[in-house]
Amino acid sequence: MPNSYSETYFPVLLQMVLATAVGFALVALGVILGYRVKNKVKDSPYECGVQPVGSAKERFSVKFYLVAMLFILFDIEAIFLYPWAVVYRDLNHGANRMFGFVEMLIFVVLVLAGFFYIWKKGVLNWQADPGPASVPPAKAPAAYSLSEK
Amino acid sequence: MLDLVLFLPLIGFLLALLVPAEKAKYFALIFSLVLFVISLGLIGPVLANPGEYSFVTDTPWISTPNIRYHIGLDGLSLWLVILTTFLTPLAILISWNYIGHRMKEYYAFLILLEFGVIGVFVSLDLFLYYVFWEVGLVPMYFLIGIWGHDRRIYAAVKFFLYTMVGSVLMLVAIIYLYLKSGTFDYTVILQQMASGQLKLTPEEALPLFLAFFVAFAIKVPLFPLHTWLPDAHVEAPTAGSVMLASVMLKMGTYGLVRYCLPLFPNAARECAPWIVGLAIIGIVYGALVALVQPNMKKLVAYSSVSHLGFVVLGVFSFNQLALDGAVYQMLNHGVSTGALFMLVGMMYERRHSLEIKDYGGVATQVPHLATVFLITTLASVGLPLLNNFVGELLVLQGAAMVNISWAVFAAIGVILSACYMLWLYQRVFLGRTSHDTAHHFEGQDLKTREWVAILPLLALMVWMGVAPMGFLTPISVADNKTLQQSKLNVELKVTAPAPPALPVSAGTTVQVAQTAAGVNNAR
Amino acid sequence: MPANLWPSSTDLLRFGPEILLTLVGTLMMVLEPLLDNKRVFRTLSLVTLLGAIGVTMAAHGVPGLSYANMIIVDGFATFFRLLVLGVAILTVLLSGDYLEKEGHETGEFYALLLFSVVGQGIMACANELIMVFVGIEISSIASYILTGYLRDDKRNNEAAMKYFLLGSFATAFLLYGVAWIYGLTGSTNLNDIRTVLSSPNFTNSASLVGMSAALMFVGFAFKVSAAPFQSWAPDVYQGAPSPVSAFMSAGPKAAAFAVFIRVFLTAYGPISDTWVPLVAIAALATMTIGNFAALRQTNVKRLLAYSSIAHAGYVLVAIAAHSTVGTQAVMFYLASYVFMNVGAFAVVTFFARKGEQYVNIDDLSGLAVRQPAMAAMLTIFMLSLIGVPLTAGFFGKFYIFKAALDSNLVWLTILGLLNSAVAAYYYLRILVVMYMREPGVATNNMDEAPFALRLTVWASALATLVLGVMPGLLLDVAGRWVLALGR
Repeated sequence: MPNSYSETYFPVLLQMVLATAVGFALVALGVILGYRVKNKVKDSPYECGVQPVGSAKERFSVKFYLVAMLFILFDIEAIFLYPWAVVYRDLNHGANRMFGFVEMLIFVVLVLAGFFYIWKKGVLNWQADPGPASVPPAKAPAAYSLSEK
Repeated sequence: MLDLVLFLPLIGFLLALLVPAEKAKYFALIFSLVLFVISLGLIGPVLANPGEYSFVTDTPWISTPNIRYHIGLDGLSLWLVILTTFLTPLAILISWNYIGHRMKEYYAFLILLEFGVIGVFVSLDLFLYYVFWEVGLVPMYFLIGIWGHDRRIYAAVKFFLYTMVGSVLMLVAIIYLYLKSGTFDYTVILQQMASGQLKLTPEEALPLFLAFFVAFAIKVPLFPLHTWLPDAHVEAPTAGSVMLASVMLKMGTYGLVRYCLPLFPNAARECAPWIVGLAIIGIVYGALVALVQPNMKKLVAYSSVSHLGFVVLGVFSFNQLALDGAVYQMLNHGVSTGALFMLVGMMYERRHSLEIKDYGGVATQVPHLATVFLITTLASVGLPLLNNFVGELLVLQGAAMVNISWAVFAAIGVILSACYMLWLYQRVFLGRTSHDTAHHFEGQDLKTREWVAILPLLALMVWMGVAPMGFLTPISVADNKTLQQSKLNVELKVTAPAPPALPVSAGTTVQVAQTAAGVNNAR
Repeated sequence: MPANLWPSSTDLLRFGPEILLTLVGTLMMVLEPLLDNKRVFRTLSLVTLLGAIGVTMAAHGVPGLSYANMIIVDGFATFFRLLVLGVAILTVLLSGDYLEKEGHETGEFYALLLFSVVGQGIMACANELIMVFVGIEISSIASYILTGYLRDDKRNNEAAMKYFLLGSFATAFLLYGVAWIYGLTGSTNLNDIRTVLSSPNFTNSASLVGMSAALMFVGFAFKVSAAPFQSWAPDVYQGAPSPVSAFMSAGPKAAAFAVFIRVFLTAYGPISDTWVPLVAIAALATMTIGNFAALRQTNVKRLLAYSSIAHAGYVLVAIAAHSTVGTQAVMFYLASYVFMNVGAFAVVTFFARKGEQYVNIDDLSGLAVRQPAMAAMLTIFMLSLIGVPLTAGFFGKFYIFKAALDSNLVWLTILGLLNSAVAAYYYLRILVVMYMREPGVATNNMDEAPFALRLTVWASALATLVLGVMPGLLLDVAGRWVLALGR
């Protein structure tokens, strides 16, 4: 048992030191032990397959942002599963039996409803499908396509 | 019965919106005549006991706070209600051909106006009173704003805002009184004051009095709050001016008599010298401004400021004679100024101008109209045997009993009124007829409809001038009661001097004074 | 861990309206891509809202605390739940034809409306600061989207962006205030905070508690558009689709006032001396800014926005009274305000036509000649907003200023009533152009108003008049259901 307030932080300090040490160690080991081949392709900067050099003012399709936003949304919703999982064992006692399960079921169904909605709305369709008639055609310039570059 | 007289106009308003536009005026005329006839039935019972409220209806309206539908009629309000029902059909007649567009709304608003005004005169619950006070505002706003002359919108908005500012202050005072007394019922509040259950400290009473007073003073209008009046009158259509001058201004003076005096006797007496000062300034100022007006309607409007100064002077002289005169003068002003506005309206319909310089020598073309105008002019300047004389004399006499200089200054107003009215008459009807003017008036003497509209008023001017007792007796009795109430809890600092010997010429006045004295003794 | 976490049937009933609305709202999102006939959603949302009214009344039959004291069902909550549901019904009636005209009728609109009402319902019955926050956020986020609903419209976009940025900022203040008071009292439950604050053992400095109250006041003041946090309202009301402006000026505002009153009267009741002057000054500033800014407006929607700021000021006067009659006055006022304001926006919706091209005051010229019925209805709403007797607005003001006088706020009463006289000027301008000007281009070729819109307008006008003649109908209800706290 830690005796004082600052002592409680000792493990944290230890972890920080260890993490830093491991980081440095891995890089250093790579430099020391690694086998290197140098050519033009290998030396070029790598950015997810996209041409790294060019104008910085290029426009990206709005679909990138849509997908990013949806990712964040569903990601955050998925995070709710974590605290639930932590207390799930306690939630499943006596009168509360199944309570935690049903609660999460409701939550997941709601998330799925959202998923169903974006799916049927055509948000996940990458190709230029205008989607259901109720969505007016986008006025934005045509999607930036990778194949052109 | 009083409920009927009060609510028939509201029903009439709704019905008028339903009848076809071209039939609206017939409907409105018949309806208002029927209402007038019904309202005559109010006279008898009130005359039997003018000091108490007749036709009282007192039922709860709203439970929290306790707001009651409490109405009644006594000698003070009787004639004002009759005046309203009497003038409405005449106002409709006078608009017969003048109003060419949106007739349905026009007549509907005239009838709605009647509802608001009657409501003000019969309410005995402060809250109810306030409601009617505001309700009367809306139709008049539209009457001026839609059917008025060139600057009608300015005038209408100014009229509305002036009255509104005054009335919100009154609302604060009404709510304050409610919180002190626990009731909006005017009669109950007076009883509480009489029994000492409700006491207002001078620090409370003065602001409350002023809140009521400013609302009324704007409506009267008292100098220097009168500036909305000339605008409203000049821009309003004829019937609007008639109703405004004859009955709506009386809402202010009636309020002074009915509420200000009995509710805040001490504060009223304290402020009286200042108020009388303003009233006298109003009398003289109104007359002087009227003297130099190039516009007929504006001239009549300023004469109203002057005449109503007399009423305020009478009210704040705190004696029987002056108060009787003031109340009587309210009626007189309603009759004679109403008639003047009608006549000016008739002139306008012929010449399409209100500028005096566009007239001249009209009498040769329209002798009947000229004669009627002359009689009305004489009534307005206070010629004996016509109505205004009685009222002005009583007020002057009553004021003189308190302070002779008040009467002297006010008398200047009487002289000036003769100047501006007779000069107006001279410039309009006498002198050479220009070709242009003659063209407009040729063969355009009074039509039957116009005779019907104006004759009742002429008759009334003579009747009220020759035999005022019939009207004055109930007024005296009610006034006497108001005066008694306004003496409650008052330390009279100055005792009124004994009435001076009455002038022989004013035979009617002697009778009035004696009646009043008789009433005093009887109590 | 509590022995039994399962909600009882009573719990479910007490939270029933919100559960129902959430389920149907979600269902609508699922149905939206599947159905081509979008008119179905109008009917569905109307039926749901009517159902929610039924559930609310049923929940009122079993008053009490639920869900670990997080929500409370009492008369006060029921009153505001009914109010926001009523606003939503009027909005749905108003929106259908509008959206169809703009070619943008979708199920999402109605679903968002229902979600927003869920948030307001939670605000009405929240008994706990976290719930307060959650309710405000649910209501606000849906409102942000509704504001920018016509996404091809620049004004909509601008309004939504402003509303979102400023709104999030304000709720952050609110949350900060919640954190302070939690730190000081160790609870977020309103009753517990009240107990702690009024206990003689409470030794924390009064200024710290005052600080938390002030921070929360910022959040609430933003939501009710009270000065000095009112500046978003004109831009947002002007930019948003008219039915949405109608909705926002009534529903979320009423709910925000409900939660404002509940939090300040319950939790901060013991320290009323510190916040009452603050609210009184905010009330005066709000009225004055709203009314004087409205004087110079030429756009009807913007004018109504400033008028709604001014009216928020009147309501704050009653809150500053800090009394039961004051709260009762607020309830009456907000209910009557809903009718006159939604009614006025409904007429504007009708008048503006496709793309909201006609929203200037001058465009109303001669409306009384071309559309006498609509002009008469708008007249009733304007007279009620002025506070002319025999309309609901008059009694609303009357009760508020009576409550203020009752609490000896004489200066505030007088300044407030003078303010309402100033307000008369700009409302009269609308009457002037409608009745006293010749018909202009804008009133040419007007179609008959659609049935649902006429229904909204007539119902609002009728309610305005009925409450103006028989205010007791509503006032008695408000009196029975009032939050009996304060002086």
